[in-house]
Amino acid sequence: MKKILLVCNAGMSTSMLVAKMKKAAEAKGADVSIEAKSLSEAKAEISEADIVLLGPQIRYELNNVKKIAGSVPVEAIDMRDYGMMNGEKVLAHAMEVMGA
Amino acid sequence: MSEEFELICMQMITNSGSAKSSYIEAIQKAKEGDFEGAERLMEEGDQFFSEAHGVHGNLLAKEASGEKTEFSLILMHAEDQMASTEMAKVLAREIMELYQKK
Repeated sequence: MKKILLVCNAGMSTSMLVAKMKKAAEAKGADVSIEAKSLSEAKAEISEADIVLLGPQIRYELNNVKKIAGSVPVEAIDMRDYGMMNGEKVLAHAMEVMGA
Repeated sequence: MSEEFELICMQMITNSGSAKSSYIEAIQKAKEGDFEGAERLMEEGDQFFSEAHGVHGNLLAKEASGEKTEFSLILMHAEDQMASTEMAKVLAREIMELYQKK
């Protein structure tokens, strides 16, 4: 099972996007776990993830998170998809990057 | 909570969040000595932030005209994001000036 980790400041708005992504994953029958974490919580789990996605409010941490993540891909979520809570599109992009 | 209202809040969160990132990236540019790049990021931040203010302003105008806004934690969170972005903006400007004097 692939693991998608979403990161923002408090994990609040991101958890709303996660709910939409989970629905999209269910509809597709995709075998993924999707979680939202705050940055400090996420740090310990980054190495176990298959992809890390950052919310727009924490995009400025992109380079720092990339350093911690090593070979795990790290990306900022497209702000339009984030604002429209387009779980389907964010999921599809993550699956593509993970090669799943 | 209606889906439409949820999206209004997300627009505020996304735009003020993007603005905050731009302001902090402006500080990072100034730290590298790239003041033009920093200035561009401050402008980019202002554009995002005014989007957020526009959406928020519409809610305020509606409330002022008697149409009560739905209350929710996500709206509070959106306003909280806007307040912290405001602070990031003021501090980014000050810190950029400090780097410029160095």
